[in-house]
Amino acid sequence: MRFGWMRHSTITAATALALVCVAPGVIEVPVSAQSAYKAPRTADGTPDLQGIWQVRNTSAAFDLEDHAGALGIPPGRSVIVDPPDGKIPYKPEALAKRQANFKNRDAADTLNKCYMPGVPRITYLDFPFQIFQTPKYTLITYEYIHIYRTIFTDGSKHIDGLDFWLGDPRGHWDGDTLVVDVTDFNDQTWFDASGDYHSDKLHVVERYTRTGPDTLRYEATIEDPDVFTRAWKISLPLYRHAEPNFRILEYECQAYADEAAKGGR
Amino acid sequence: MTFRFAVLSAGAGLLLAALPALAHHSFAAEFDVSKPITLKGKFVKMDWVNPHSQIHVDVTGPDGQVVTWSFEALPPNVLFRQGWRKDSLKPGEEIEIEGFQAKDGSANAWTRSVKTADGRRMFAGSPDALPPGAPPAPTK
Amino acid sequence: MDQQEERISRMSSRLLKSIFAAAALAAMLSAQPPAPPAGGAANGGVPAIFGGTGPHVAGGPVQHLSDGHPDMQGFWAAGNNGGAVFELQNHPKPRSGVPPGKGAIVDPADGFIPYQPWAAAKATDTFEHNLAEEPELHCYESGVPKQIYVQFGFQIFQPANYVVVTWEFMHAYRIIPTDGRAHIPTDIKLFEGDSVGHWEGDTLVVDTTNLNDRTWYDTVGNFHSDSEHVVERFTEVDTNTIKYEATVEDSKVLTAPFKIAFELYKSSDTKYEQMEFACIEGNQDVTHYTKDKGGNADVKVK
Repeated sequence: MRFGWMRHSTITAATALALVCVAPGVIEVPVSAQSAYKAPRTADGTPDLQGIWQVRNTSAAFDLEDHAGALGIPPGRSVIVDPPDGKIPYKPEALAKRQANFKNRDAADTLNKCYMPGVPRITYLDFPFQIFQTPKYTLITYEYIHIYRTIFTDGSKHIDGLDFWLGDPRGHWDGDTLVVDVTDFNDQTWFDASGDYHSDKLHVVERYTRTGPDTLRYEATIEDPDVFTRAWKISLPLYRHAEPNFRILEYECQAYADEAAKGGR
Repeated sequence: MTFRFAVLSAGAGLLLAALPALAHHSFAAEFDVSKPITLKGKFVKMDWVNPHSQIHVDVTGPDGQVVTWSFEALPPNVLFRQGWRKDSLKPGEEIEIEGFQAKDGSANAWTRSVKTADGRRMFAGSPDALPPGAPPAPTK
Repeated sequence: MDQQEERISRMSSRLLKSIFAAAALAAMLSAQPPAPPAGGAANGGVPAIFGGTGPHVAGGPVQHLSDGHPDMQGFWAAGNNGGAVFELQNHPKPRSGVPPGKGAIVDPADGFIPYQPWAAAKATDTFEHNLAEEPELHCYESGVPKQIYVQFGFQIFQPANYVVVTWEFMHAYRIIPTDGRAHIPTDIKLFEGDSVGHWEGDTLVVDTTNLNDRTWYDTVGNFHSDSEHVVERFTEVDTNTIKYEATVEDSKVLTAPFKIAFELYKSSDTKYEQMEFACIEGNQDVTHYTKDKGGNADVKVK
């Protein structure tokens, strides 16, 4: 099951060599200089993040770090804001595994089998998602394979004893920011299509902050003591779909793959 | 002795069968409901995956060959709510597992129940593949 | 009550004691989350899907949200619907793996789907030879109206200007805007269709079009085309009960519309949580389907 427009198999060795890190120059805006926008409130007084959102950065899903373009792959600056050099702080043996993943990515990236993308990858896939809020829940419905995440904002604790592709999300409000603590991951997903991976000890803390009428800032702090030497953090803007009556539709990866296998569209 | 799963009576298992958990797909198309099989073997591991958990059991045949059977069970979410945990069965533990064999003759089956060496019975499927009130399993 | 329901009801009271004891013990010995809740009328008649054992108990008067509409939020599951999830229409004769039942069709009165002759033949052929085509076997969503009566129930949310419903099963969801918008263009066909809703008093009326033809009404092959059009009505009658009706039209397949009706029962288990249900990631069943049912495997067990 492949995405026609996400194939990597045409990357030659020469092109792979071109994927070197360019000079890091990630600009991190100090907190004090960031927008002091105050989001409107929902009926129960929490900041209103509702709407249909999508990244404009289409290259992070291919590779979170600085990378030049390749056939079918847009170039991009690193979305990693910490550490400042924009590189994922792998342990040495883990970096070797990452390189092996990269070489084997067509077969090893479970996204290519239409499996769930994991968190935070699902946020920066190039598909819209919709945020809904009720007092005890923030519900995010994703167009991508009709995934939804129910973020419990009722003070409940994580489940103990199961693991999930998208983890178990428990949220609370910190000023104008929705903070979502995600644990209970399995080890089957990657952060991008270049082999950046994690173990089942992954712990993600997401932060959703409205920065203007039509923008959100999405941040995710990633910890995994088995793979990384320290925590690291990504940041991406999300943009509201302003088209009138915009709706999320369906991207039913497996159904399309089944049809293609039968010689359909 | 600790047991970390809900010990349910045979009747309770039938109540579980009242849950339309088996309406997920046509059960009798995949498994032979006309004759249940019971195997004794060593628990290897359990895959806690949706849509169906898989219980792997090493069964020694009369010829001395060991075949690893895969017994399909209810989704992990359901088992978890019933009280099953990932350490409810220990690798190497002797168990008796009862179920319906896949019609394709492979070493796959649907789990009706699991019984441990000390006589505890646990349900991972249902003791009767057909919901209560159904006629006896047809031979078709 | 038909025979099946009577048996379940008798078993329910007999099992109450053993389930209560087992659940209490399990709760004591196991970690979070809790074992299935103890049964009994005091829990509001939690449907069996949520671990309840008592009969359904009516709730209190309908509560309303600040927007004036009934608060239907919570966990719900289909009540008695004559085994609709097995077969939506009247099915008096047992079939392999399917117990008899009345199904959920209330109009026409005989309870049968008013198929055009070619469609009735196709449904029979599907059951006999092509059960490997069952959409849920391939982890597809269940479509409309089947999504309402699938196992494990669903959760209703009512954020501003929407009703959103989520299912643990297949991690499905339906988004129903209630802002009076039009449907999307007919060229776009979706598994769950395109739903628009509006309130008529305390009844939520949901109009769904743009359905594709890749879902079934049940597990035995009753099907629809991409001309299917469904109008559902959800009327909360008390805090534990919603009256559900759906009128289904499909000019390519049916000679006339049909209507289904049954109740939805709420879970009063305040600790209940839906969890992630990945499907294709672990799906093995389709590989075992035998050739006589449209699969690829040979029948070896006779």
